[in-house]
Amino acid sequence: MDIIVKTQGDDMLSRIAQMFEDVIHQGHGSLALVFLIGVIFGGIIQYTRVDKFEKIAGFSMLKDTIVPKMLFLAVGLTSIALYFMIEAGWAHYHIKPVMWQGLIIGGTLFGISMAILGKCPGTGPVSIAEGRIDVLVGAIGGLLGGYVFTVYYDDFFKPLMGESAGKLVLTEFFKGHEHTVVLVYGIVITLIAIAIPKVEMFDEADLCKLPDEERPDKKQDA
Amino acid sequence: MSRLPWWMGGILMSLLLLLTFSVFGADRPIGASTYVPYFAGIIFDLDPEKYSYLKEIENPGAWEGVMLFGALFGGFVTSIFITKSFRFSLIPTGWKKYKNNSVVSRLLWSFFSGFIMIIGARLAGGCTSGHFMSGMSQMAISSMIFGGVVLVVVIVTGRLFYNVKEK
Repeated sequence: MDIIVKTQGDDMLSRIAQMFEDVIHQGHGSLALVFLIGVIFGGIIQYTRVDKFEKIAGFSMLKDTIVPKMLFLAVGLTSIALYFMIEAGWAHYHIKPVMWQGLIIGGTLFGISMAILGKCPGTGPVSIAEGRIDVLVGAIGGLLGGYVFTVYYDDFFKPLMGESAGKLVLTEFFKGHEHTVVLVYGIVITLIAIAIPKVEMFDEADLCKLPDEERPDKKQDA
Repeated sequence: MSRLPWWMGGILMSLLLLLTFSVFGADRPIGASTYVPYFAGIIFDLDPEKYSYLKEIENPGAWEGVMLFGALFGGFVTSIFITKSFRFSLIPTGWKKYKNNSVVSRLLWSFFSGFIMIIGARLAGGCTSGHFMSGMSQMAISSMIFGGVVLVVVIVTGRLFYNVKEK
């Protein structure tokens, strides 16, 4: 069944309609599936509470390690399963190129802002959905950043990113031993996730709503 | 306010990544920063024919835009019914404890960090989702470089920016 919506015009509403239309026709899952992926993504982030300021800003002060533990675990498990899915033809590589300048300058700006805002572009919207006005102000700053990046892309930002050194993958350096490399990589990353000592910074504003016996800060580590 | 443990979050996130990567799902990685310039293009009414960057991100921007609507919805519903953490607030408790009590200071820093966050993510070609999660799962060297730089800079910034000793 083909749904074709006529969405011409360049006012804001038609452009948002064009966004949906684009997703329907670009062949990366149905509109409903893409929306559902978002719902699950937002649900996981909210339910694990990693959208809270105390999680990422807390990590920058080394007073909370939930975010790196969760990230490393997700990467470790996914890397092994994904490699065999790709071999079976059930998935494809989508590698980003190595552009040293872009990665280092971009990573530095990103790291500074992540520590100060206490969010990343994935967790930010989830905490806005939870009612955090300060993050909404951050998102307005982000939109302005996106505007500046788009307008000065050709003249300034693209040259700043530098030349691509290729879409390199770890396994390329170990020809003939791909399976061993994947397994070692996945297991080591998973072990890092488990080995990072678990420390948590809690938010009294959330905890005070709980009865004493349910407070995670008063419970012995379960 | 209930919450999932970190290992459960990691396992669920891994399953979601695999679903998104698979040809039965979306056959692409999860990303969460391309939608920002995409929406900036719509809000500031930039003509996609005129700006090469908008042309470049047309498809991924739209995809992530729809995913973002889903994430807002999923986050909102979860915060109302499951974590019961929905409330309006202007300043996080942790900011009061380790930085200051000024709402103006928090909002100015939020605006500034939001601005450089998107410039940084777009310069690097990805963020925590696109580089750290999706990229490192594919063993991409670019994502390991990004992940390493971000980890170090986050910890250094935290040391310098916050009064790490409790007030």
